[in-house]
Amino acid sequence: MQVFKAFLQVLKHKLSTAFVYIIVFFVIAIPMTINGNKERIFEATKLAVCVFDADDTPESHALTDFIGQQHDLVTVENDRTAITDALYYEAVDYVLVIEDGYAEKLENGETDALFSSYRMHDSYGAALVQQMLDRYISTVQAYRTGGAELTDAIADAADVLTEKTEVRYAETKNTAVLSPVNASYFTYMSYILISVIFSVLSPVLLTMNRKDLRFRTACSCLRPNARTMQIFAGSSLFVLVIWALFTVTGILLGGGQISGLAWLVIPNSLLYAIICTGIAIFVAELGVRTQVINMLTQILGLGMSFLCGVFVEQSMLGEGVLAVGRFLPAYWYVRLIDMLRGAIPYDAGEAAMCLLIETGFAVVMMILSLLVHKQFVRAKTNMN
Amino acid sequence: MFLHNLLYEIRTGIRTKDVILWLMLFPIILGTLFKASFSGLYETATAFSTIPCAVVENKENELLHTVLDSVTEGEDALLSVTYADENHALQMLKDGEICGILYSDDRLSLTVDEEGVKETVLKSFAEQYNAQQTVIRDTMEHDPMQLQAVIDALSADVSPITEIPLTQGNTDNYTAFFYNLIAMVAMYGMITGLHITIGSQANLSALGARRCCSPTPKFISLAAGLLGSYLVQGLCMVICVTFEAFVLKVDFGERLPLVYVSALLGGIMGVSLGFFVGSINHFSENAKVSLSFAVSMFFCFMSGLMVSAMKPIVATHAPWFNNINPAAIVCDSFYYLNIDSGYDRFIGKLVTMVMISVIFTVLGAVMSRRKKYASL
Repeated sequence: MQVFKAFLQVLKHKLSTAFVYIIVFFVIAIPMTINGNKERIFEATKLAVCVFDADDTPESHALTDFIGQQHDLVTVENDRTAITDALYYEAVDYVLVIEDGYAEKLENGETDALFSSYRMHDSYGAALVQQMLDRYISTVQAYRTGGAELTDAIADAADVLTEKTEVRYAETKNTAVLSPVNASYFTYMSYILISVIFSVLSPVLLTMNRKDLRFRTACSCLRPNARTMQIFAGSSLFVLVIWALFTVTGILLGGGQISGLAWLVIPNSLLYAIICTGIAIFVAELGVRTQVINMLTQILGLGMSFLCGVFVEQSMLGEGVLAVGRFLPAYWYVRLIDMLRGAIPYDAGEAAMCLLIETGFAVVMMILSLLVHKQFVRAKTNMN
Repeated sequence: MFLHNLLYEIRTGIRTKDVILWLMLFPIILGTLFKASFSGLYETATAFSTIPCAVVENKENELLHTVLDSVTEGEDALLSVTYADENHALQMLKDGEICGILYSDDRLSLTVDEEGVKETVLKSFAEQYNAQQTVIRDTMEHDPMQLQAVIDALSADVSPITEIPLTQGNTDNYTAFFYNLIAMVAMYGMITGLHITIGSQANLSALGARRCCSPTPKFISLAAGLLGSYLVQGLCMVICVTFEAFVLKVDFGERLPLVYVSALLGGIMGVSLGFFVGSINHFSENAKVSLSFAVSMFFCFMSGLMVSAMKPIVATHAPWFNNINPAAIVCDSFYYLNIDSGYDRFIGKLVTMVMISVIFTVLGAVMSRRKKYASL
């Protein structure tokens, strides 16, 4: 087992790279998990609304309270550039100014120019707040028309407008079997798996394939097949440990809620880890430089994540991007998770197809690696 | 001698594989990926467009028709409504053709397939309609004589909000990723800057050893190295901005020439930082390269390259850091050019870039001088 031991020795020196990825991933994944564990009960989107009250009357305070019941009130410095920055970076969704004379106009039945709002662009958030304010003013005026005093009209309008409406989820086939926490975690795991496996395994294999090391091993009594098997065992051990670490952590972070069809994430992620291993071996057999491996790690990791729906949901990506993504394994990995989390209808045949395509990718990468191994490495180590 | 050294600095600079890989190819590939992913995302996820929904009427409701007509009129209509039976509506919801189904009974109720701001707008519409119904019912109970006046008041078009436009620039906040990409190339200028000192320190490279015993004054070789690196880095910045502006068609606003100016200054700042890090004498070449990558990635992360929300988070909790983070300074300069009508904040960022460049170049020069090697 000398080659296996040598493999582990080399691996030990490269593990620091893996630790950086692992720590960063967990630092991001754990808060995501804490925030994401929700039941499927409809919750209205709450916007960050900033209110500047230039009127400063009981009526304007009542309006501010009403907005605060519907949305989150936030503060922004009352300065045009600060407001611009806050709206651009979405630190705040809507900035409202209650104009001076608001209460007086409301008392007189006037409905024009009661407020100003700073506009960055037409957004759903802005539409939501504008719709709410329009209805608030209409309702107050309706109560006033009905003979109520302004104070009573404001209180009645706030009461009636805060009554909840029944919201149901449609019973479509898109039933989630995977919790949102596990779905997010396992989706992002595709990026971290390829990054860790590729950035660690390829340099280790490059070292093991170095001419001097190969020559030394080749002139020993060890058979070439035994050498290959020992390197394979070392690679498998590393990949299995990494995969198990991420998978078990994912399940634990999700509260161990995996059951039934949700267990499909296990073969799904394992197959993906094997594909990553195949890619790492293939590139290592090509004998590229470490710098190129660093860059390929970034390009493959980020590339597949952007094109296949890891960072941006597949439903948000254009058809052209998805057409390219279909040629990449991460697309099928994410598609199966999308089925399990209910983003698209679950279909047993399609789920099996995703797993089969991933298996196909894994087999193709392994065959390519063997071909390259025969063509390049054997040619390089030819004693002639 | 200066020109001779300068020429060779430029030649070696543009032939360095690190420079070609990380400063020319990598931004192009990453930019293309950004474009592929974020293209159309602003229109889909952020910018408002009419929300499609279906209405299933369990009984005829004239008032609902009137209200729906009022919110479906015009180019910027809030809703587009399809009247359908329940099965058809559910099929449309499943196919993603609509965001929700409004059921008209005594009160409006809503069925959705997911939660989000569009569904919240529908919920808000339903709640407001139900509120109107309550007001009408209350009026009928307490003062039926006022019923028509109340209905008129509820149906009246009100426009209580006056909008104050903030900018004429590109408001697509996904563009910030492209600003960050240029900032990342500027920060990778640290790698270019490192090569100046690595190539001049006898304990770090054979070239440095040769230079130390050559008759060329150190000032001349360092000045040529710096200028050469600025030019090579400038070339990388120009390639990056040109690719983004003309190939990826990223909208930088109306002042593209100033984007180039800002990117060039950002590149110079990156090189200066690298020159300073390289001049720290106690570290090996590998340690300096790792330190440069780590520092540049940290700056880029805090500026929002990986997580767009980082910049506003930093602005809220430690606003001073955005003023000294070189990557954030470069991003802000592009942002101000795009968003602001004036130049005040943009010029402020340019001045900051120049100051950082001067400070770190001077510090690097001070730390590089008078180094002697007893043995190597």
